[in-house]
Amino acid sequence: MRLADPAATLACVSLIFGLLLVVFPVSFPRMIVQNWQNARLTPIMILFTVSLNLGLYLGVAHQRSSRPGILASACLGSVPVFLLAGLNFLLQATIAHTLSLDIPNAFARVDEEIIAHTYFALIASMFGPFLLIRLGQQFRNTNP
Amino acid sequence: MVALGIDELTADWASAKWLLWIGLYLSLGIVVPWAMTRAWAHQHHSPLRPRLRQVFQNGELGLVSLMLAISVIWDLQKSQYTSFTIALGSVFLAMTGIMAGAVWIESYCRRSTGTRFRPDRAWRDSRNLTLLVFSLAIVTEILLDRFAKVTAL
Repeated sequence: MRLADPAATLACVSLIFGLLLVVFPVSFPRMIVQNWQNARLTPIMILFTVSLNLGLYLGVAHQRSSRPGILASACLGSVPVFLLAGLNFLLQATIAHTLSLDIPNAFARVDEEIIAHTYFALIASMFGPFLLIRLGQQFRNTNP
Repeated sequence: MVALGIDELTADWASAKWLLWIGLYLSLGIVVPWAMTRAWAHQHHSPLRPRLRQVFQNGELGLVSLMLAISVIWDLQKSQYTSFTIALGSVFLAMTGIMAGAVWIESYCRRSTGTRFRPDRAWRDSRNLTLLVFSLAIVTEILLDRFAKVTAL
């Protein structure tokens, strides 16, 4: 597994996110914020990233005619869950901190924080497991 | 908590400074070096007509990505996002930038030590990771643009 394998798909997901932000500057962010408020955003993101990661991994394994490893599959399934759940806790702390400050337009700022956080967390949870697998491969084999 | 007045804030997205900004990186970082090789060949009456892939066959695109990532990290640091969001974005951009730069480092090490080196793999790796860094940079700049408008209210 090389990092370039999932990179193209990640770039597409990232560009789609950006395109949605530009084309639907109001409704798309509103949808994200509302889902976050209803506590639906993190489970949706977990489902999306885990299925996409596993699909990518199986696709690459099939392409290279190699057998998918159980350790890598476990990493792809668990790391996004821990990462997204952990980052969600941090986001809640950040929002509480922002709202506690006496700054103008605090609610609008919080919305933008949620959108930015969602984007970075989404991409990080997709890239992180592959990075871990790649680093694991480097340790195991000095000449991949 | 839906943003008040966000319609007004985002209505002028067509002004899109980020598009010009990314165009500058694309032209100065990728197109200009390629055009310069063509110009050099023309000046020296050389039959050399390298394609983009040949100019960047050793993973040099990874270095362009690293520069781009540094630039976006700098913009993030200057923004008024909370320190957590800045840290998350910066760490992630740095990681992808480093991994893109590592493609060039690996190919340099392989060429220098005579270890098996495949230019097609170096090109493919650096191209895909560059695409990722560019897409991250574009979306981060869009997010920064939105946030700047909110804070300016």
